Order: sequence, then structure tokens, then C-alpha cells
Amino acid sequence: MGPRGKAMEEVIRQSEMIENDYVKKWKSEGKKVLGYTCVMTPAEVIEAAGLLPYRIRALGNPHTEMADAHLSRFNCSFCRSCLQLGLDGTYEFLDGLIESNGCDHLRGMFENWQYVKEFDFFHYLKVPHIMTRDAMEYFEGEMELYRKAIGEYFEVEITDRELLRVMEEYSLIRDKLRVLYEIREGENPGMTGAEALAVILLGSAVPAGVFLDLLDRVIEERRDTDISGYRARLILCGAATDEVDFIREIESVGGLVVTDALCYGSRAFWTVERGGEEDPLKALAHMYLENLLCPRMFDDYYSRRDYVLAAVSRANVDGAILVHNKFCDVHGVDNVQLRMDLEKNDIPVLQLEKEYGAKADLGRIKTRVQAFLEKIG
Amino acid sequence: MPEVIGTTVKEGLFDRILSLLSLLDRIPEYLSDEELEGVSAFLPDDVASTMNAFFHPRVRRAGIKYMKMVSRWVQEAKRAKQEGRKVILMPFNFTPEVIHAFEGAFPLTSEVLTTLGVGGLEGQGQRYWDYAMGLGIPDHLCSSSTIELGSMLAGNDFEVDGIISATPGGCDANAKIHELVSHYLDIPQFILEKPVDNTERGKELYRRYFHTLVEELEEFIGEKLDEDRLRFVVENCNRASELYLELWEMRKNIPCPVPNLFSFFSYGCRFTMWGRPEAVECLEIMVEESARRLETGAYPAEKEIARCGWLYTGIYFDFANLYNWMEEQGYSYLWDVLNLCYPQPISIASRESMIDGLAEANWNMPMTRQMGGDSMSLCWLDDAIHTIKELNANCAIFCGHHACKQTWSVISILRTELMERAGAPVLCLQGDSWMKRMTPISVIQREVDEFVKNVVAPRRKGRKKATRKGG
Repeated sequence: MGPRGKAMEEVIRQSEMIENDYVKKWKSEGKKVLGYTCVMTPAEVIEAAGLLPYRIRALGNPHTEMADAHLSRFNCSFCRSCLQLGLDGTYEFLDGLIESNGCDHLRGMFENWQYVKEFDFFHYLKVPHIMTRDAMEYFEGEMELYRKAIGEYFEVEITDRELLRVMEEYSLIRDKLRVLYEIREGENPGMTGAEALAVILLGSAVPAGVFLDLLDRVIEERRDTDISGYRARLILCGAATDEVDFIREIESVGGLVVTDALCYGSRAFWTVERGGEEDPLKALAHMYLENLLCPRMFDDYYSRRDYVLAAVSRANVDGAILVHNKFCDVHGVDNVQLRMDLEKNDIPVLQLEKEYGAKADLGRIKTRVQAFLEKIG
Repeated sequence: MPEVIGTTVKEGLFDRILSLLSLLDRIPEYLSDEELEGVSAFLPDDVASTMNAFFHPRVRRAGIKYMKMVSRWVQEAKRAKQEGRKVILMPFNFTPEVIHAFEGAFPLTSEVLTTLGVGGLEGQGQRYWDYAMGLGIPDHLCSSSTIELGSMLAGNDFEVDGIISATPGGCDANAKIHELVSHYLDIPQFILEKPVDNTERGKELYRRYFHTLVEELEEFIGEKLDEDRLRFVVENCNRASELYLELWEMRKNIPCPVPNLFSFFSYGCRFTMWGRPEAVECLEIMVEESARRLETGAYPAEKEIARCGWLYTGIYFDFANLYNWMEEQGYSYLWDVLNLCYPQPISIASRESMIDGLAEANWNMPMTRQMGGDSMSLCWLDDAIHTIKELNANCAIFCGHHACKQTWSVISILRTELMERAGAPVLCLQGDSWMKRMTPISVIQREVDEFVKNVVAPRRKGRKKATRKGG
């Protein structure tokens, strides 16, 4: 749909690898990598410890035979794909895992991964499902335990000063990602949805400094680019979708994904930061829990709905695709409510339930997307 | 919609159940075989099957008492609504006694209503599931709640005033469907999250959540929890706990003198009328009947071959052909996870001590305790191993309810560890515990039967032989 520059080429190439060149370089310098999965994990603490925070992904890996000996066919195929990579050696570069209670499937994935691999460092960050004063107070305590566990095991002092420095760096990244989204959501979009996902994916698999540099270059390349030849502007919302190919397929039939509400997409950085003089851990606790736009949170559906509606309006979309992986309860149910609310707002909706990484599913999905595009003109 | 003498005929699950239970309420405490046969002849097959299971001579006295208790529970909910009291819908893992302690409120349990619909309605309530699917709700949600909630979503059911969601932290599927219903029908929702943290920090947070919930309920119901009324309820809870544990103790005997169906009846009491005299009376009869069987050495089969612990839920669409059938084969159904609620005496010293005690009871409710623990596999495993050893079980069965993503995600760990640490082989079934569409009961029977005959029984013989050789 549009020309690629050198920076975007580099992003795409690196984002297609689990162990990208930056991770390899990091490891070759004798440094450690910690794996995590959910957006609710404050990666700043890991980075401030001098470790590389790496967000677990499966990149559409369709194989699950080893994982299926542990998880079941009734578990989400994204988790099974990730576990497969954990068991088959792809994730051998990890020096530990941070579990978080994102959903029932993810918890099972972590428990099985640890049961088989027995990481020396395995920490469970327990995140409340509601946002109340008691929950926040608890989460602040969890943040202390999280810092302490990493610090003690890796024998490093995670100082407030270093934490504040990293938080500033992450804040800059978030600002730049918003600029990227302005380019993407504008009247003449400067990048495809597949490209945008690749950028964000890479961002949670490289050191912050590297990502900042790449972001600057991508923004520079794409500021004046116009993508053309699409039939409709779409928003993609829903489950853990790190499948760049999936978006590429949607875009191949003419639906340009100009914005998203995905947890590997905008929900990973669209955070309202807290200003003021504050204990950095406390600030992180508030920032993460108060902005957790994930359907695993309860009593908070209307924030998620408003977030999607705001993106719909900002990006002036013609239609919405709501996606969830088979057996994903949290997104599966949220998407029902979201569909109803979007339709109330005259936004045409295509609701897709799919298997993660299943190429065989793509034909069916493309047919449905094509029909949807016909419907919305 | 058909009209009958100026009254709208309700098509929802609750009202259909209410009509049926109102009839059953007229059944005498003692029913002869002939009378039962006569009544069954007039009932549709699905209903007659459940009735024949519950009123089988071996369990009839308790079965009738249980059905009368449930009937009263449903009728009282209806009456509460008519009187302007708040009817609160809640999941099975919330203690109903909290709501019973309010004069102005009454609890209804989603999963119990579903189970009544499955066991008591022609078509087993599947039309409500289909309605939910028609709204786009995913088919991998849990039928235990979605059947009743599907009926509510259809808009022609009993209208509850509030919903308690006690499953965040323990079960995504349950928590999400209750949330959706609350939004769709614009019913206030009260959330009790289970922190996945078994340390003192986690317990303290839960205690605080629970106290907040009580305050929210007080405001919603418009009534401060009265200490005397609360004490009356807690005293009933304590008495019920004693009886529940007495029944539990009796299960240790070989052969097991507690009928298989009492597992279901006893948690049926836990999820509906706990805190009320009706639950106490029902449990008293179960204890009496089991004690009588223990005394006489009565057992439905020639010998007890398998002592089975059901690791998660049971199966609820054909009671006769699971619980009663197993018993007749010599396969005792000792417990399932819903029995694992670990009732403890609650101090009645003060309002505070009683509320704290109820918070603890909630913490220990089934599923909350296992799946809401800091490790699903370890918390579940600890309870399973402890129970297998305590009740001398020689095998375990996992129902394989497809919607239980949490259990399915760690069952492989349990299967390995139970064999290694408790010597208990595990049979993993697949299906839906509330719907016969996925796996029919004949297949379940065959799998259980083959498992016992090919795995459990030979191991039992091997052990006996080894014991004899060892002198």
C-alpha cells in the first residue's frame, strides 16, 4: 500500500523474530532478560534494574504440540503458542519470568511453563481486578515486592533515581507513539495497521534507548507518506493479537486498520501519566492500574467503551472489527457489549472469533472481511 | 405470548421452575413407590428422570426434603419480590447467609437455578442457552450460569434487583457473564474480588473488600445488618456446618454409607438456604439416613469397587444415570469440588466477629479457594490430595466441563501429581456438565466403567495381593 523506508524495514525485520538482533546483542554482553506478558506489568522496574523487559509473544506461531500436553484444547491458542515456544527452546534466552493474573488461560500458561522449566527467578505480580482505594493500596504493596524480588535475585539496587530516569524515557516513548498514531489515524494515513503493530511489538522487545531511536527514524520517514488504495478505514479491537500477518490479510482486501484498541497495540501505551512529586513506585502503581483498559478489569466496562469510541471518532473510521481468540472469555464477552454499543453509535461491526496463528482460518476470515467491506461500502 | 385468564404466562426459567416446584411442594413427606410411579407417568421424560433419581427409595426421604427446601427457596424469592424486598442474584461461590441476614433481601443463585432448569424442565433449559448464543455470547462460556442468565437476557424472566459477582479472581467466564447481564439489564452489580494471594496481605485485602461489600449492600437494601438477626443466621450456619462435617466424617467409612446424591444435596443446601433452619433440617435427614446405612452396613452394590473423588464439578443433566448408576455399580461418589467449602464455626461474639467469619467462609467457598488461590494448580492440588487421603479415595475423575478454562489449564499438573503423590489415577472426561449435547450420559458411563474396570479395580487387586505377600 505504501513505500517502506530503511527504518521501517528494520522494524519489520526485527519484529518478525522472537530473539531479535538487539536481544542477541544484549545477551552477548552478558546482560539478563526478563519475560512478562501483560500490559499491566510495569516494565520500567525491570529496565531500571539494568535488565531487558521482554514481552512474551508468539508472532502467529501455529505449532502447539508440546504445549498441548500441558494446556488443553479448551485453552486459548495464543497461550498455547507462547507455551510451545517456552517449551521448545525458543525462549531459552529468558533469565526469568514475571507472571501476572491477566486471565485464566495466561495463569495456566505460566503455571505450566514454570512447572516444566523451573526458572530460578519467577515472580508473580498480583494485579487487582477492580480499581478501589483498597485495591490501589494493595497494588502499591505489590510494586514494592516486585522491586524487591528483582533487586534481590539479580543483586541490584533499583533506586528511585534510576526508576525516575527510566520512567521519563518511557514517557518519551509514549509521546512518540502517540505521534505515530497521529500519522496513522490522520486523514491521509502514513502507515498501515500491520506496520504500526510491528513497531509497537518491537518496542517491548528491545531496550528503551534503541526503541526511541527507531521511533524517531520511523516517524521521520512516515510523516509525509500517504497510504492509498484502500476501501475503508477500520478500527481493530480485542484480544491479545500480535499477529502482524492477520492485519496484513485484512489490509490485503482493502480494509486499512487506521487505529486499534489492542493490548499489543494502543492499549499498551495510551496511558495517562501522573505528574507531581511522588514516590516513583506509587506513581507507577497508579499509572498502570488506573489505565488498565483490559476486559479482565471489572466495574470498568464503560471506560473501555469510551476509549474505543474516542479512537473511532479520532480516526474517523468506517467500521470496527472486534476479534477474540476462541475460548477467550474476557474479550469474547466484552466484544458482545462493545458490538452493541458501537452499533448504537452507528458504527458497523464485524465480530470475529478465530484460532490464533491458524493459517487455515485466514481464508474464512478474509471472506468475512470482504463481505463486511462490501456492506460498509 | 399466550394469555391465560388475563395473566401473562411467563416463559422464563425461574417461573417455569416455580410452577413445577409449587406442585412438588404438595408431595407428602412419605411417598410410596406406586404413588411415585403414578406422578412420574404424568411428567415429561426429562423431569421424570430427575424425580425418579431424587426420590429413589435409597434417598427418597432426603430427596423429598431437599426438593421441599428448594421449593421454599424459589417461592420465597417470588414472595420477596412481591413484598418489595430486594432479590439479589449471586454466583454459587458467594455465601447466601449474608443475604439471608437482611430482612429486606433474598438470595438467588444463578447456578442453582440453571441446575433446577436442567433437571426440572422439559428440554433441560437449553432454549435459554440458545437465546444467549443468539445474542452473540460465545459458546465457550459456562452453561452453569449462562442457561439461567440467558433466560434473564431474553427479557421474560423473573427480575432481580441486584447482582453480586464474587468470581473475579476465580473464574473469568462466570464474572464476565454476570457483568454483561448487569449492564444489559441495567441491574446494579456488587463485586467481591478474590485476590490471588494467600498471604496475610491477600487475606486482609479480601476482608476489607468483604466489609465494603456489606456496607454497599446495606445501603442498597436500605437496612443496617441487625446483630440479632445476623446471630440467628450464623447460629444456623454453625449448626449446618456441624452436620455437614458429620456427613463428611461418615464418608471415610468403607463402604461409604453416604449415598452418592448426598454430595449434590449437601452443597445444594450450602448454595441456597445456608443460615436458615431449612438447610439444617435437610442436612439432619441426610445425616440420619447415612448413619442408618452405616449401622446396617447397607450398600447398593455387592461391594464397593471404586471410591471416586470428582476433582471439579459433577454432571447435572442426568442424576439417575450418574449418581445412582455409579452407586449400583459399586462406585462411590465421595465428593466433588463443590463439596470443598470447609465450613468452620463462626464466632457469634459480636457483629464484627460474625462478619469476619462470613468473610472467611466466602474465602473458603469452592472454586474461590482453589482457582482463586495464588497458584491454581497448587491450591487445587493441595485440596485434592488432602481429600483423597482423608476419604480413602482410590481414584479421581475430572468432569472436563469445557467452560472451565482454569481447571483445563492445569489438569495435566494435577494428573501427574495425584498419581505420584497420592497414588490416585485420574480419568479426564470431556463434555459439558449441564448440557447433554456435548457428551451423552451413555458415553460418560462407559468411560467411567472402563476406567474403573481397567485401571482402578486391577490396582486394587494388586494392592491386596501385595499386602497379603507382605504378610
